[in-house]
Amino acid sequence: MKRFSQLAIPYIIWAALMLILPMLLIALYSITEHGNSIISFSITPEHYIKFFTDPDFLIILWRSIWIAIKTTVICLLLGYPIAYFIARSREKLQNLLVLAITIPMWINMLVRTYAWIGLLSEGGPIQQILAFFGLGEVELLYTEAAVLLGMVYNFLPFMILQINTSLCKMDNSLLEASADLGADPLHTFMRVTLPLSLPGVINGITLVFLPAVSSFFIPKLLGGGQYFLIGNLIENQFITAGEWNFGSAISMIMAIIMMLLMMTMRKVEIRNQGGKED
Amino acid sequence: MLRKNSRPIGKILMVLMLIFFYLPILYMIVFSFNDSKSLTGFTGFSLRWYQHMLESRDMMEALYTTFGVALAATLISTVVGTISAIGLSRSKKIVRDLLTQVNNLPLMNPEIVTAIGFMLLFITFRVEKGYATMLLAHIAFCIPYVMLSVMPKIRSLDPNLADAAMDLGATPWQALTKVIIPQITPGIISGALIAFTMSVDDFIISYFVTGSGVKNLSIMVYTMSKRVNPSINAVSTLMVVIITIVLLIINLAPGFIAKRQRAAEITKRKMVLPATLTLAVVVVGAITVSGLGARPSALPYAGQTLYLYNWGEYTGENILQDFEAATGATVVMENFDSNEQMYIKVANGEAYDILVPSDYMIQRLISEGLLQELDHSKLNCMDDLTEAVIGLPYDVNNDYSVPYFWGSVGIVYDKTKVSLEDLEAEGYNIFLDEKYRGDIYLYDSERDSFMMALKALGYSMNTEDPDELQAAYDWLVQCVETMKPEIVTDEIIDNMAQGRKAMGLIYSGDAAYVMSENENMGFYMPEGGTNLWSDAMVIPANAKNPDLAHEFINFASDYDGAYDNSSYVGYTSPNQQVMADLSGEGGDFEGINAYLPRTDNPNDEVFVFNDATRKIISNLWSKVKIAASNAN
Repeated sequence: MKRFSQLAIPYIIWAALMLILPMLLIALYSITEHGNSIISFSITPEHYIKFFTDPDFLIILWRSIWIAIKTTVICLLLGYPIAYFIARSREKLQNLLVLAITIPMWINMLVRTYAWIGLLSEGGPIQQILAFFGLGEVELLYTEAAVLLGMVYNFLPFMILQINTSLCKMDNSLLEASADLGADPLHTFMRVTLPLSLPGVINGITLVFLPAVSSFFIPKLLGGGQYFLIGNLIENQFITAGEWNFGSAISMIMAIIMMLLMMTMRKVEIRNQGGKED
Repeated sequence: MLRKNSRPIGKILMVLMLIFFYLPILYMIVFSFNDSKSLTGFTGFSLRWYQHMLESRDMMEALYTTFGVALAATLISTVVGTISAIGLSRSKKIVRDLLTQVNNLPLMNPEIVTAIGFMLLFITFRVEKGYATMLLAHIAFCIPYVMLSVMPKIRSLDPNLADAAMDLGATPWQALTKVIIPQITPGIISGALIAFTMSVDDFIISYFVTGSGVKNLSIMVYTMSKRVNPSINAVSTLMVVIITIVLLIINLAPGFIAKRQRAAEITKRKMVLPATLTLAVVVVGAITVSGLGARPSALPYAGQTLYLYNWGEYTGENILQDFEAATGATVVMENFDSNEQMYIKVANGEAYDILVPSDYMIQRLISEGLLQELDHSKLNCMDDLTEAVIGLPYDVNNDYSVPYFWGSVGIVYDKTKVSLEDLEAEGYNIFLDEKYRGDIYLYDSERDSFMMALKALGYSMNTEDPDELQAAYDWLVQCVETMKPEIVTDEIIDNMAQGRKAMGLIYSGDAAYVMSENENMGFYMPEGGTNLWSDAMVIPANAKNPDLAHEFINFASDYDGAYDNSSYVGYTSPNQQVMADLSGEGGDFEGINAYLPRTDNPNDEVFVFNDATRKIISNLWSKVKIAASNAN
């Protein structure tokens, strides 16, 4: 049986090369001086100092995290009921609905975002509908709401699918047992369904929060150039400014913050599961 | 599985969800049949974008790359991921835990960080960026998803299962393929599906690791900055159709087979037929696309390739095909959306044969030794060019560059909302006039925004004086804080053509297009001066095929090529005859002042490159945008 363990060796080498090494390179770039040569480098903390001493950068960082939090909360509030109802429908319909959520993801994300530009634009269909209800003057495109909408639109499917998977895995007899023992539906939901779907919720949060916090084309397309997030700042450093070392430092800061957040969340999950077993 | 529920609230929620998810897709399908180039105003039914799509090799190649990479990455990552997961489940706990953590790196990191990691990896080890690097990166971020979905299935297996099989005489290979794999198939399939979905929809990672003109649909859309072409809606509609057909077949086939098992023979044949047909269509399509590269061999440059690095949507409809037909060479075009983006790739040693940078960037490339001198004995086009674009300060003797397009920067304005008197009285300061608050566009370009501010203040746009730059910065901050402008890039073209705002800063060529679409629009260049720019063709020092590059320069400067470029893109041609014909009687741009750049104002300037100033401006512009975000 142990012989199968050899099957993992090639992947260990691959993971070292393709997953660990890139992170080490970012770390290396982030602490070296300007210039991209790895042979003659000198270590400096200047890029980190530059980031943390400039309130503008900190504001952007906070704004990016804040909009990602808002996106995640909205996705959770919308995604949970949707996933719940999908899980409660007939199996055939269930498969169909899951498919219906997956298909849009196979059509290019940027094209779908461009379509939103048209939908939200001045004189576009949504404004016309709003005008019909006497809300004609509402500016939609190039607002924070538009960015939020674009993010929710692009990332909601991840949330729904993750929660749905964990709800479907649930054993029906647990619910019956709960009902038999006299719990009302709300009680059953709070004490049985919700805790059991938590792994899905946590996966969903991860899959929504991470892309939301670093997205740069959604703010660029739907928020306009005046909506500037940390992803835009990083893209700028690499693509137009050519300040790779500073860009790497911001990336490291992002990576570390995210790792800490995710680790905290996993701890919550583990504690919750531990509590369940008692 | 939860109980069945038939409360209406659930149904309403489902319907709303489906509307939300499919509304943009529906919109996209409708606009793929739009007659006009606009992405927001529907003018009539037409199939022209489908025709354009089929004729555009660029687009078909992007489609091919997207699916090629996604299928290959899915296949490889599923196989490797499954095998590794099985291996890992039998490894020591410490190895297993460690690798799980490592696998979490791409899952737990913001995508842009992963993307940058891959980019630095490929650049550090001098791997030429292109199809292979894109595929490698996709495999690398897909495998963790596959393992994540296979691992739980393996954990739920009885660990003695394989031993039992081998005790009963199975070889390890048989134990693996006949016992373990069938047990975990659902996990493998869902892993493969996730991998495919992630890969096909990926933008950020692909964007950072690609090179040599390889682009998937996302990259193509993103770099189509000059003007998003509605053909992209046609491509997506086509994708919707293909996906729907494939899914119907996959989903309906098993149902049908189960229902009609008794009449199995006939039914199965019926189901096999459409499946085979779809497969055949896909294969034939793939062959057609890849076959487009094949050229007859009698022509002088048969079998050779020209790597062209140009702005998005900056070539005529036919010029590349015509050039290929005339020379037998293949053109691979990659697009950039800023000079800086192009510079970074070139400075990092990526090889192209032709670049089309702007004036100041050409000066920078020359000063850093990144360009080679043109061989004027191979060029026959110089005499056709208009005097105004020859011998400009960035390349006084045109030793390195031949102009491609030229123009100015000015204000596009709605004649029904803005009076010419205001414009004449205020110049660029009209962007601080509160009468137009909330009704203006700024252009997201650090150089041109600072040009506008410096000119508004009466300074030279090439100033190196920190006080003047600071004053310009203050001017821009005042503008974003008091005027609520929208800072856009090429969206301004469509938006002004639709008359959405009163005015905006714009390139003359884009204004020419806007004015040809909407007669209420005018173009004004302030007397205080403006940026007279030119984009010119240059050959990098590391070009692999300079002879072919010279051919291309001749071809694009020649009447037919220049006419095709200019009439399609709307930017001013440096070819004297083309310029005269297009702006003259019966020409596409007759009576449109934006098409003919001003050449007689002494305040107009050409950008000069200065690295120190560039850095200051770049930093300050980021800060202006941050101020704009804060003001909102």
